[in-house]
Amino acid sequence: MDKYQFLITMAGVIFSLGLLGVAVRRNLLVVMMCLEIMLNAVVLSFVTSASRSNTVAGASMTFFIYVAASCEIALAMAIVVLLVKRHGTLDLDAHQDLKG
Amino acid sequence: MDTFFILLFSTLAVLFAALVLILRQPMRAALALIAHMVSLACIYATLNVHVVAIFQILIYVSAVMVFMVYTIMLLDDRDASYRQRFSRWVYPALIVAVLIPLSLWLLPAESGALVAPAGGPERFSFAAFALDFMKSYWFHFELATVLLLIGVLSAWTAVKEGLDG
Amino acid sequence: MNKLTLILMLPFLGFLINGLIGSRLPKKAVSLIACGMPAICFALTWSLFSGLRVSRLPVVEHLFTWVAYPGFKVEAALYFDQISAMMCLVVTGVGTLIHIYSVGYMSHDKGFARYFAYLNLFLFFMLLLVLGKNMVLLFAGWEGVGIASYLLIGFWFQDSDKTAAGLKAFIVNRVGDTGFVLAAFVIYFFANTLDFQEINAFFATGQTSVAVMNAIGIMLLIGACGKSAQIPLHVWLPDAMAGPTPVSALIHAATMVTAGVYLLCRLNGVFLHAPGAMTVVAYGGALTALLGATMGLTQYNLKKVLAFSTMSQIGLMFLACGVGAFNAALFHLFTHAFFKACLFLGAGAIIHALHGEEDMRNMGALGKKLPITLVTFLIASLALSGVPPFAGFFSKDEILWSAYSGVNGSLGLWLVASISSFLTAFYMFRAIIMTFFGESRVPARLEKGIHEGPATMSGVLVLLAVCSVAAGFLGLPGALREMAGVSAPFYDFLAPVIGHAQAEGAGGHPAAGGHRLETLFMGISIAVALSGIAMAWVFFSLRKEWAVRAKASSGYAYDLVSQGYFFDALYYVVVRFLDWVSESVLARRVEHGLDAGVLTAPNHSVNYASRLFSSMQAGSVQGYVFYVFLGLALVLLWGVLHV
Repeated sequence: MDKYQFLITMAGVIFSLGLLGVAVRRNLLVVMMCLEIMLNAVVLSFVTSASRSNTVAGASMTFFIYVAASCEIALAMAIVVLLVKRHGTLDLDAHQDLKG
Repeated sequence: MDTFFILLFSTLAVLFAALVLILRQPMRAALALIAHMVSLACIYATLNVHVVAIFQILIYVSAVMVFMVYTIMLLDDRDASYRQRFSRWVYPALIVAVLIPLSLWLLPAESGALVAPAGGPERFSFAAFALDFMKSYWFHFELATVLLLIGVLSAWTAVKEGLDG
Repeated sequence: MNKLTLILMLPFLGFLINGLIGSRLPKKAVSLIACGMPAICFALTWSLFSGLRVSRLPVVEHLFTWVAYPGFKVEAALYFDQISAMMCLVVTGVGTLIHIYSVGYMSHDKGFARYFAYLNLFLFFMLLLVLGKNMVLLFAGWEGVGIASYLLIGFWFQDSDKTAAGLKAFIVNRVGDTGFVLAAFVIYFFANTLDFQEINAFFATGQTSVAVMNAIGIMLLIGACGKSAQIPLHVWLPDAMAGPTPVSALIHAATMVTAGVYLLCRLNGVFLHAPGAMTVVAYGGALTALLGATMGLTQYNLKKVLAFSTMSQIGLMFLACGVGAFNAALFHLFTHAFFKACLFLGAGAIIHALHGEEDMRNMGALGKKLPITLVTFLIASLALSGVPPFAGFFSKDEILWSAYSGVNGSLGLWLVASISSFLTAFYMFRAIIMTFFGESRVPARLEKGIHEGPATMSGVLVLLAVCSVAAGFLGLPGALREMAGVSAPFYDFLAPVIGHAQAEGAGGHPAAGGHRLETLFMGISIAVALSGIAMAWVFFSLRKEWAVRAKASSGYAYDLVSQGYFFDALYYVVVRFLDWVSESVLARRVEHGLDAGVLTAPNHSVNYASRLFSSMQAGSVQGYVFYVFLGLALVLLWGVLHV
């Protein structure tokens, strides 16, 4: 098993840790952090593939991911602030407006 | 030597990611996340893709995480989620979380050697990367910056509306 | 359009017109339409009949294909052969006369148009019954006349007793229909056809076992018993007298109750090969004849006397069928239609004159005030009692002779039939003496208004009385034919289609030594009839106290007979039992269980499943994320297992 396969598996592990965190933690801010973990895992897999095939395309893709992450974090924080203002708490169990 | 570094930093990355999940205070979780991102940057450096490593630190750690720290400072409160960290789904999700890497591990890897094109490890040096990037992906980059601008503007609008209404 | 279809559809047209707009038309228009239709039908039937006499070929009219499945085909087709011709002539002829009579009888009734609509409807269904080429069409007509009978018996529906009588008639009919339908199923199972000609041809080949033939015969007999008011399904006929008298004349004397006899004659091919069933028919008919006659003795209601008389006479017709003398049965049907209709219409004239009084104990000495009625009633009674030269003598005598000499015939059957003839003469003249002669027991308020009905009523009575005399000469019995050297046009007409089954071996005494035995029996019948009349005169006119003493001394026997041999009581018990089963067993236990198991169980399971699904939409975002997580894991697992 070479390093690339190992790193891809690592990306998978980190991704599932992030997804686990989103499903498991009750604090809204920690959930946002776990989203970032997921994005990082994706970046890792891109970089590994780029390194393996020695192309620039993978590395370039990471930049766009960074752009998306920044955008997203800006918006996401704004929404978090508003959500917390609305519900009065960071606890996700209280944010049940979608209940059907 | 390579292998050792990769192993080390991968372990650290996984460890810090797990800490993000486990730590109770959001601030400490944020610090663990920063450490996680730094170790990922180290992995990129090991792979000789220094450009991406630098930008990982620059963008993620300094921009994204600072943003997050600001918000934590604004909103952190000792409420119910502090006392009870985990939601109802913790046990089923743990089981599922084992399945995904397992499946990825078991999935048959793509065989066939990739022919590395010319230009060895210096390919990812700054000069070569910059030239290549600007030549092929300049348009995409401009598009991305526009999107970033839009994102910033909408964030500002959302907050303004939210605070007024 | 073909004449047959016209014959069938014209009464239906009359029903539609009178039924839908009749109440808005003037009475003259209603009666014109209602009487015109049967009259036209009679004319058409007569022309077809004349053609048939010459050509001897039956007329078939195919209307449409009713059912066409790969293995099962039913054609709606009309068939006019000799039997249908005779029945059609009787139905349309007597029907027209009764329609004309009803114009006068029902002239003061509010439901004038409705009455004639129902009467035309009845005619339509009866014609469908006799013209149908297969069992399905006959059954359609069978049920239809049942409906018409129900509607007409309960014509004055404001009275709940009358509607109950109508219901009773219909329900008892239905019990008989079970037998009919079962017979149709079995016939179809073996013969693979429901067409009469094909059925008779099939069973003539003798492929099916005698046991099956007997079973079919018994089931057909049950159906016929229901329709023709034979024992044990006779209980509806006395109650059916609740309807208007012309209805009783048409339906319960001349036409509907003879449908059973028609059925037996149509399917004679089945019966001829089912000796067991024939025996049951013969003995059942004889029993009914006797019991009906005894019950007629004890009645005080004039119409009920006539009803039991009808039951008894049809018993004789069944007896004739049972001994293989199908043409004799049909001849008696023919003559009986005339004199029984005359009797009923005469009773109607009396009731009309007395403004609704039916009890003979309140009548008496009406002969002087209602002369035409008296004469026609007398002629018809003589015909019914079997006195020559009136019609009933010739037809009844043929039956009595066949009871002795036919298949399954025996002296016992002849004896029973003779006794019932004696009783018939006795109770008929008892009725005549109580009604027309003696002292008047009429209530004072009715005394003044007694007069004959309008010309429409009296004219019909006269016509029917003439037929009662003349019709007999169409079918002279064998011995008289020999003596007079003439043939019997009636039997000759029917000969190609239906005849007299030859006496086979055991049970029959074919005429030996010329016709001496037959002539002897004829003489005995005349003596029996005359002695019955004489005894009635003695008991009810000369020595009235003998009648009173006889009634007092018979005690229990009298009660038994006047209560109708307690058939009604027995059926009441049966019905109450079924009621109990339906309520306590079915409604409480079975339906409860079915409700819980079949109806509410799916309800509960659907509710449960939907609650399960709705619990997945709790609104918790982390729950939804978990579902995504789970889906992703499953997809990857699938990839591992299948790629």
